[in-house]
Amino acid sequence: MSTTHEHSLALEQGENSKFEVLEIAVRELAISRGLFSAEDHRRFTEWSEQVGPAGGSRLVAKAWVDPEFKARLLANGIEACKEVGIDWAQPTGHGAPSDYTWFYVLENTPQVHHVIVCTLCSCYPRPVLGMSPSWYRTVNYRRRIVRWPREVLSEFGLYLPPEVEIRVHDSNAKSRFMVMPMRPKGTEGWSEEQLAAIVTRDTMIGVALPSADWTATQPPSQGAS
Amino acid sequence: MRKFQIGDRVTVKEGTSLFYTRVQTYTRGKTGVIADYRPAWVIPEDEAWGRDDGRKEPFYVVRFNQRDLWPEYKDQNDTLETEIYERWLEPAKEEAK
Repeated sequence: MSTTHEHSLALEQGENSKFEVLEIAVRELAISRGLFSAEDHRRFTEWSEQVGPAGGSRLVAKAWVDPEFKARLLANGIEACKEVGIDWAQPTGHGAPSDYTWFYVLENTPQVHHVIVCTLCSCYPRPVLGMSPSWYRTVNYRRRIVRWPREVLSEFGLYLPPEVEIRVHDSNAKSRFMVMPMRPKGTEGWSEEQLAAIVTRDTMIGVALPSADWTATQPPSQGAS
Repeated sequence: MRKFQIGDRVTVKEGTSLFYTRVQTYTRGKTGVIADYRPAWVIPEDEAWGRDDGRKEPFYVVRFNQRDLWPEYKDQNDTLETEIYERWLEPAKEEAK
C-alpha cells in the first residue's frame, strides 16, 4: 500500500476551484484599478445573498387573487415584477444579481406541472427567488431531473399521476423561469399576505406543491404529516 | 424573417462541440416542435468571445416529448422545453424529402 499522499479528483475542503481563483484574481484587479472597493464588493455580496424567495411568493399570491395582474405577469414577467417592487435591472443597471434577458412565469394547471433546471450551470431567477438552493446547482439534480423527472420529484416527496404532463424547462439561454403553482384547497378567503406565506421556494422551482398547512417560515412539526 | 413557425417539427443538428454553443448534447439529433418564439440575440459562438455586436439569430422554444430524448422513458405525455437558435435547427428529418 502506498504511503504517499494521493490527491483525489474531488476538491479538498477549503481548496479553491479554478473559477474561484479566477473570481478572486478579477476582483483584486478591479479593486486595485479602483473600479470598486472591497467594501463595495462585500456590501453587494451581503445584499445579494439575503435576497430570498419572498418576491416570488408575493408575485404568485397577487396573481392568485387578481386575475388581471396574473394576465400581466404571464404576458411580461419583467414589467409585472415592478408592481411588487422588484426591478430586474437594479442595482447594476443590466440585470441583477446575474445577467438575464427575459423572465417567464410558468403556470401550473391540472394538466401540466412545470419544473425548472439549468443543466449547463445554475441559471435561476435570482431577483425573485434569491440564491438557488445548493441541491439545485448539483450535477446530480441537473443531469437527473431532465431524464428521470418523476423519479427525482418522488425523492422530494412529490408524486404526480401519469395523466399529468411533467414539463421540464432547461434554462439554457437568456430566459429565466419561475413556476406559478396552483392555489391549494383550504385557502378560500385568505389574504394576499397569508397566501404568500405558503408559496415556498420549492413550489416555485416545481419540486413541491403548496399546502394550506405548510409555510417554510415555521419549523416543521415532528412525524409524518 | 424567421425560418420556423410555431408548430413546425424540427431536428437539432448533430454539430461539432468545438465552440461554445449552449446546445445540450442530449438534444443533438433529436426532433421536437417549435412551441414559442424568443427574440433574436447574439449567438453564443460569438457572445462567448465578448462580441456583443456579433451575429444575431432568432431563438425558439423547442418542446421535446421525453420519449424522443430518452429511449427508455415510459410516460407518454411528459415533455422538456429548451431554447435553441436558428442555425442549430433544421426541418424534422422524418418529414424531409
